[in-house]
Amino acid sequence: MTSATALRIQIEHALERRFPSALTPVPRTIRETAATGIAVVDALLEGGLPVGAISEVVGQQSSGRTSLTLSFLAHRTQDGQVTAWVDATDAFDPESAAANGVSLRQLLWVRCGSGGTATKNKPWTRLDQAIRSTDLLLQAGGFAAIVLDLGGTAPEHANRIPLATWFRFRQAADRTRCCLVVLGEQAYAQSSAALVVECVPRQAMTEGETVLTGFSFEVRRERQRLLHNAQGIRKAPASTWSAACGWAQEERA
Amino acid sequence: MSEQLYLCMHAAEFPAQALLRLRPEMQPQPIAVLEGRAPLEVVCALNRHAERRGAVCGMTRLEAEAIAGLRLLPRSTQSEAAARAVVRECAAYYSPRIEAASYGTACSYVLDIAGTGRLFGPPEKLAERLRAVLAAAGFRVSIAVSANFHTARLKAANSRSVTVIPEGEEAAQLSKLPLASLVLTPDHAETFAIWGIRTLGELAALPETDLIARLGQQARMWRSLARGEQAHTFQPIEPEFALKEFCEFETPVEEMESLLFVGARMIDCLVARAASRALSLASLTVEMKLDGGQMHCGAIRPALASTDRKFLLKLLQLEFAAHPPQAAVLAFSLGAEAGQSSKVQLGLFAPQTPEPSRLDVTIARLKAIAGEDRVGSPVLEDSNRPGSFRMSQFVVSVTTSTAKTDNPRTALRRMRPPVPVLVTMQGGEPRRFRDAERSFEITAAYGPWRTSGCWWSTDGWDVEEWDVLATTRQDTTRLATTRQETSIACLLMRDHAQNAWQLVAIYD
Repeated sequence: MTSATALRIQIEHALERRFPSALTPVPRTIRETAATGIAVVDALLEGGLPVGAISEVVGQQSSGRTSLTLSFLAHRTQDGQVTAWVDATDAFDPESAAANGVSLRQLLWVRCGSGGTATKNKPWTRLDQAIRSTDLLLQAGGFAAIVLDLGGTAPEHANRIPLATWFRFRQAADRTRCCLVVLGEQAYAQSSAALVVECVPRQAMTEGETVLTGFSFEVRRERQRLLHNAQGIRKAPASTWSAACGWAQEERA
Repeated sequence: MSEQLYLCMHAAEFPAQALLRLRPEMQPQPIAVLEGRAPLEVVCALNRHAERRGAVCGMTRLEAEAIAGLRLLPRSTQSEAAARAVVRECAAYYSPRIEAASYGTACSYVLDIAGTGRLFGPPEKLAERLRAVLAAAGFRVSIAVSANFHTARLKAANSRSVTVIPEGEEAAQLSKLPLASLVLTPDHAETFAIWGIRTLGELAALPETDLIARLGQQARMWRSLARGEQAHTFQPIEPEFALKEFCEFETPVEEMESLLFVGARMIDCLVARAASRALSLASLTVEMKLDGGQMHCGAIRPALASTDRKFLLKLLQLEFAAHPPQAAVLAFSLGAEAGQSSKVQLGLFAPQTPEPSRLDVTIARLKAIAGEDRVGSPVLEDSNRPGSFRMSQFVVSVTTSTAKTDNPRTALRRMRPPVPVLVTMQGGEPRRFRDAERSFEITAAYGPWRTSGCWWSTDGWDVEEWDVLATTRQDTTRLATTRQETSIACLLMRDHAQNAWQLVAIYD
């Protein structure tokens, strides 16, 4: 045993009551991440969305939250993974998903709303369907990513989802190594969410003031647990990214 | 030593056995099966408990109803046909050469088991195994093994257990059987009764020449049957492999639990029969005859052929939950299609995917929650119609895409159904619009983008689309004391056919 090691052990032993393992680095949990496919967002989130945890993508309408989530799903399906989209308000657009590169064959789409146990104009039933469907998919296992789309659900309804439900989802996602992405106007999962990303609309991009060619958005990292370079309380870091419209892609091709 | 060896299995009171095998809860009860047209029905089969109560075959319905506690069931030829198929299936596992030897209400099959000693052991062992297999399938049979076809048949019909008759002892074994074992005409039966001949042993002892002189050539056959010497040319049947179970209820059944109880038993039998041929069940077909004459049909197609009883039963339960019959059920039939046993080759570096059998159950449950046609994979239609797609069955397919898209595209969130809006036009462009709750000021409008198609059919479309940026003021507190301006980018559509505006999607 070298003298430095002996000295370290001696100091640690002396300080053991007040500071356990004072000179031994704390083992760090390296959380696996999955890339969103948008370079600036991945850089902001240090790799992407955490695997086996709940991530919340929040923002108002036209804030780019759906585009960001579809880009993430596209990367997951392109790797051969199977994903699911639980659609509480039946707002998913398959054309947009295909344009973003999502392999639709590897996407299970659950359209809550009419049919089944739902009745029209009853948000509770739709929400209930979405929660139960997500629960089933998480329990089934094997899905690399599950999106719980509450984007069209009013916050006063979605806020009433019990914390126990989010806690159960977190446990199930951790056990099945599934990325559970919650899409909504506000953050609902509270302490169960490992990551909260807020999307803010910036401006529309046009071509000659006659054709809409895309939008630019801002992404703010509101909360990220198990961050490697944990920093103190300060303004949430943000990045700006842009998404082109489908026809802009066709023109380039 | 003869090279011939026959095994006869005999299921007495087969109409009763066929009805009771799928309903174990009724087996401890005294049951009698009636046949014929009302009110002239007579008892054609009964179980042991009914015998102990004094019921006999041939009783009229009135006489049977007079016995306390006796339960009467109508005869079901379909149940018997399905049950016979099961018996044949069980027998076919031990010998490919089977001849039908049924008569009356009994079900008998004779198996040519010559040369099976090295496969299944001595005949006693084979007989016990066959009896155990049939007992597991719900049948109570007696079995006799002999080198003579008819000896085995006669002995099996007149015993209740397993009998192995050594070669040369056929006459001795048959000697105590009643003369009624032979199919005699009433006149000849009366003649023998007058002579005092009551057993096959007494018939065998009669001189052959004198017997033929008095009763004709058929008496020679009866005598050789009684002596165990009658020759027989084996005529094997070709058993058709059909996985089907049928059960007819004496009263209409409404509870799903009762149907599942019967269904579980049927799945057990189907799985056992398929597994005996190293096969699995690839699909199940459910047919129900409903009260009122209607038929209710359904199909279950798991992603992989399976012999997992619990898994198939769960799928059946979810099928019942998703498509419940509209009336009480009179008869229930479950058919299956055999498939090769599923084998899934997993790769070390392949991504983890849902387990196929578990995914089937999950999707069935999701369909029960969200709706039959609202769970699956979206497939884009080959059409220019905005937002056209169809749903397809979700199947796990692990394919890695080589074409990666790095440029994100702006996504749409569809409004289903589209929201009707009132649009104010100015200078040929929309300037403001309002729905039932809010009004929007349009800050920029891009369009119109006109599309039309299918004008030759009733589902044609002729629309113009506008990409608009709009702002609205909405309450930010519950008391509506402050109002915040929010902006959205959305897609407005004008239907030329109806001259109506709709909010169809929001850019997000």
